[in-house]
Amino acid sequence: MAKRLLDFRDATAIAGVGYTPFTRDSGVSTLTLACRAVLAALDDAGLTADDVDGLATHRVGDSAPPTLVGPALGLTDLSWHLDQFGGGSVSHAVVGQAALAVAAGLAETVVCYRAINARSEFRMGGTGRGVPASPEVQYQAPYGYVAPPQQYAMYARAHMLKYGTKAEHFGQLAVTQRANAAKNPRALMRTPITLDDYLASRWIAEPFRLLDCCLETDGACAVVVTTAERARSLHRPPVLISAAAWGGGTSHLSCEDPAVTAAAELAPRLYAQAGLGPGDVDVAEIYDCFTYSVIVQLEDYGFCAKGEGGPYVASGATALDGPLPVNTHGGFLSEGYVHGVNHIAEAVSQLRGDAGDRQVPGAEVALSTAQPGYILPATSALILRRA
Amino acid sequence: MVVYRPEPDRDSREWWERIARHEFAVQCCDACGTTRFPARAFCPACRTEAWHWQEVDPEGRVESWIVNHQPFMPGAREPYVVVMVRLAAVPGCVVYGNWHGRRPPEPGERVRASYSRIDESLSLVNWEPVDG
Repeated sequence: MAKRLLDFRDATAIAGVGYTPFTRDSGVSTLTLACRAVLAALDDAGLTADDVDGLATHRVGDSAPPTLVGPALGLTDLSWHLDQFGGGSVSHAVVGQAALAVAAGLAETVVCYRAINARSEFRMGGTGRGVPASPEVQYQAPYGYVAPPQQYAMYARAHMLKYGTKAEHFGQLAVTQRANAAKNPRALMRTPITLDDYLASRWIAEPFRLLDCCLETDGACAVVVTTAERARSLHRPPVLISAAAWGGGTSHLSCEDPAVTAAAELAPRLYAQAGLGPGDVDVAEIYDCFTYSVIVQLEDYGFCAKGEGGPYVASGATALDGPLPVNTHGGFLSEGYVHGVNHIAEAVSQLRGDAGDRQVPGAEVALSTAQPGYILPATSALILRRA
Repeated sequence: MVVYRPEPDRDSREWWERIARHEFAVQCCDACGTTRFPARAFCPACRTEAWHWQEVDPEGRVESWIVNHQPFMPGAREPYVVVMVRLAAVPGCVVYGNWHGRRPPEPGERVRASYSRIDESLSLVNWEPVDG
């Protein structure tokens, strides 16, 4: 057992969140989007760029790194930065690493951001630009197997075959999240849908329909990480980072069971770090690149038994008035796709109590999760707590 | 004609050369005998670097499949099916290919490789049912 070097739990906090508008064509560079979101988050926290000594992001070669954003905002003496390669699976790892840097004293105020023109410039998968360069691509792309909706549909069917998960379960999740988005002024898709609308939406890659898939979004989102002590002196209610955990995952070519994710292995470590369990979570923002992604994570994070994610969602458990409100902002399916950071920011809003019409009354503990490790063998998650 | 021609790397080149001759081989660890795919330097079970190619029956079972309606592959006849096949010879390993059955795949059914010759240096590995 390694010596415990750092008392991490609740040592750091998120002091502010910031957004650009979510659109389908921002008309500006990812550098511009990043700067706008960083400044918005600082403004929310009651800080200025002069207070910043760290910047962090994740990207897949499609956005502005801290080494561009820093100088663009006149920040030429950052004491810490992180340019994490990776997709949504590392989104929460970025904030976790920023919290570690702050807890260790390498920096005091780190802004974590993700800026993305995922509709107008760099679309994910093989449909908008060349297929991504990974040695595993050679075994998939020649067969026309190139894009995330295909890969997730493949795993979703494996879950359907093993556990009897149904299209109606996926559909109920999409309907529930759209209902949440209807109460979110930021959301791109706010018109309510029905299960019939879901079932009538066109096939993308069976078993996935259009309404199983997240939006492709232009936009940026940022959160300010600082010490819990400093956050208490700022003008927003601080949201403590109680736990941050990292996990492995499966490769496209090697997996023992495609119906289970790396979250199952990560979750016990995450909960132990926070000293909490799934029963303590008041609201969960769960990575929803596709409907199935939420259903499998509800199981793997321990909110229901393995294989019961579909019926759990169909029971209404994840609705705003259910026992575990999930993706209260509408998620990537209906708010917009900012690669994980907008899930963290929504969790912060819920815990501060400023989520407006979609506020979960009295929310004290939130789980926010990353892509659960299907496409890149990595995942990450945070537990946040109202101070 | 292939839209996305595979780009072999230094680990995988010989595997593709064998596939072009319709030989289905995987790596086998010299120390512990564990088979592995795709080609990598080290045995993930015992971390030994020494290995040899081992020809295996190109067979497996259908673990999942998708039916593609979106034009993910320009020019493909749609809808086209991609299957996920668990290789019989390499536990823990799944591979992908197009479905060459006359009917839809069935869960767990036995399948074997159906080679598609593109040109003299490239064949692709697709999958067809063992039981018609």
